[in-house]
Amino acid sequence: MTSCGNPATEQDALMHRRTKFDKARVCIKCRENPGNVVIRHAVYCKECFFPMMAGKFRKTLEPAVNPVPDGPRKKGLKPAGNLCLGFSGGLGSSVLLDLVSRSYFSTYAGEDAKGGTDHPRNTSVWKKATVCYVEICGALPGTRDRTNEVRAVVERYKHFDFVPLRIEDAFDDAWWEMVGGRRPEAHFNVDLADEELPMTSAPAASTDSIAALRAYIASLPTQTAVPSTIQTLVRLLLLHTAWATESSHLLLGTSLTSLSVSLISSISQGGGYVVREEAQEEWQPTVHIGAKRTVRVNRPLRDLGMKECAVWAWWHGLDVIGKENILGGRQGIGALTKNFIVGLERDYPSTVSTIARTCSKLAPKDGADTTCVLCERPAQPGVQEWKARISIRSFDEPALVSPPPHLKKVLVPKRESQAEAAPQHSLTPRLCYACHTTLTSRSSRGSTSVSAHANSTPLPVWVVSQLGSGDGEQWRSRKMEESDMKASLAEFLLPDS
Amino acid sequence: MSTGDTITLKVEFSGGLELLFSNQRSHKLSVPALVPKKYGDASSETKPADITFLIHYLRDNLLKERVELFMESDTVRPGILVLVNDTDWELEGEGDYSLKAGDEIVFISTLHGG
Repeated sequence: MTSCGNPATEQDALMHRRTKFDKARVCIKCRENPGNVVIRHAVYCKECFFPMMAGKFRKTLEPAVNPVPDGPRKKGLKPAGNLCLGFSGGLGSSVLLDLVSRSYFSTYAGEDAKGGTDHPRNTSVWKKATVCYVEICGALPGTRDRTNEVRAVVERYKHFDFVPLRIEDAFDDAWWEMVGGRRPEAHFNVDLADEELPMTSAPAASTDSIAALRAYIASLPTQTAVPSTIQTLVRLLLLHTAWATESSHLLLGTSLTSLSVSLISSISQGGGYVVREEAQEEWQPTVHIGAKRTVRVNRPLRDLGMKECAVWAWWHGLDVIGKENILGGRQGIGALTKNFIVGLERDYPSTVSTIARTCSKLAPKDGADTTCVLCERPAQPGVQEWKARISIRSFDEPALVSPPPHLKKVLVPKRESQAEAAPQHSLTPRLCYACHTTLTSRSSRGSTSVSAHANSTPLPVWVVSQLGSGDGEQWRSRKMEESDMKASLAEFLLPDS
Repeated sequence: MSTGDTITLKVEFSGGLELLFSNQRSHKLSVPALVPKKYGDASSETKPADITFLIHYLRDNLLKERVELFMESDTVRPGILVLVNDTDWELEGEGDYSLKAGDEIVFISTLHGG
C-alpha cells in the first residue's frame, strides 16, 4: 500500500499498490494460459516463455553471423570462421552456452534429424566451437580455483572444446607464443607512480607469471582499478584465444542488466569514447599475427535481463556454478553501479533497457587513428593534452599558482617545461583515456595500499609485444662503450689521412 | 500440509543463495498459519502468514550468514527472484501472498558472484 494522505482519518487515503504487470494475469502471447512470469510488465506463461527467449537470442545474434553484418539472411548463416564462447561460470554465460547448444548444435546430424543431413536445419552453423574459461583466482588471493567445476559443466555439452586459461597467462610468454605471438625480445617495466608512466627495460622476462600479475594488480591506485584491470585482461585473453582458434565470433553472456552496468561503469571510468565497443566490436590483434581477419564480439543476451536468464536457468535445471565477485569493495565504481542498476531493474524494469538503447545510439565525434596498447580499443587522439587542460592533477599545477593574466605571456607555463623534461620513453601517449585513468588516477578515499612494485610494474605480453614490434616507436636504452659507438658508425667514418 | 495452527511448506534456494542457508538447497518447514501483522510484535493484530512473514522467518531461523545478501528493507534484496508454485511472485501480490499448505516457494539469486 502506498500512502497518499492521512490513513487514520481518511478511508481512501491508502492507494492500492500498482501491479508489476500491465493488464491481466493471462499470457500476452497465447492469451489462454495463466501467466508464470512478468518480464518488463508483460506476462508470459511457461510454454510461451521459452520460444520468446530463444527468439530474442537468435534475433540479436543472427544478423551478426555473416561477414557482412545485418546483410540478407536468406542464403543462411555462413560465418567466416569458428565460434568461441567466453564462459565465466556466472548466470549469463551458463544460459548462453545452453542457448547456443540448443539453437545451433543439438539438432545437428541427429538420428531423428528431419529433412535429411543436407537440410540447413541439420547442418552446424559453425564448424568448430570452443568454450574458453579464464580462471581469475591468481589475481584474487583467497579465492578458489573453479576450473574443474567449469570443465564439468562444459563437458555436458558434447559439441564444445574446452580451453581453460589462467589470468596470469597475460604475463606469460609461453601463452603468447601459443596464441601465435612472437616471444618479445625485450621486456619493460613501467612506473605507475608517475603520470607520464615512464618505462625502463627489464633485465629479463619474469619467469613467474603469477608474481608479475600480482605485482601489476598491487600497483594499481584505486579499488575501482582492480576489477577494471581484471576485466581488461580477461577480455584480451578471450580475444586472443578466439583469434588462435580461428574463430570469427566471440560470444559473451552479457545480459541486458550486466550490459547496462558495464556501460554506465565504463563511462564513469572514462570509457565514453568506446561506448559502442562495450556493446559490440570488431577486433583484430594490434600486433600482426597470421592472416588478416577479425573477431566479432557479440553479446546475444543483450536484450534479455537477468530475470529472464534466471528463470531460464531454473526451468531448464541449469547448474550455475557462479563466479568470483571481482567488483570487490563496496566503494568501487563497478560495485556501486551494479547495486544501482539491479535496484533500478526491480523498481523500474524498463529503464534498464533504456540505458542500453540510449548508449547504442552514441558515437564518438571523431574517428580514432590509434589503438590503445593495453585494451586494444580505439584511442581518442589528443586526449592527454585535453586531460592536462581540464583537470588539476596535483597541487603544484600551474592553474593553482597561476600568475595574473597580464603576466601569462611572459612566463613559460610549468606544464610545457615539464613536458620537455618528461621521460622520452613513456607509455602514456599510447594509452586511451580510460586505461591511463585506471593506471594513474588517485582516489581521495578507498585507495589501495601503496605497493613496493609501483615503480617497476611489469606489463602484459601483448603490450610488451607492441612496444617492441616496430609498428610504433622501437627503442631500448643502454649505455654504449666508445668502441661500440665507433663500430656502429664505422662505415660512415672517413679514414684518417 | 496444514495442521490447524501451522502450514507446511517447501522452500528452495538457488543461484548461490543456498550458500547462505547451510549450503542446503531444499528445506521443508512449518510456519504458523496466523502471524502478528507486525513481525515480532506478538501484541499486534494477526494476519494469515504471507511471504513477507516467511522472509523474516527465514532470516531468523535458517539464514546462517550475511543477512544483507538476502534482505533489504523488509523484503528480499533486489536481484533475488521469488517463485510461488513455479509462478513469479509479482503475479501473486509479492510479499502479500498468503501462504497455503503445500506451497513451494523458490528464491533464486541472479547475482551469483560478480
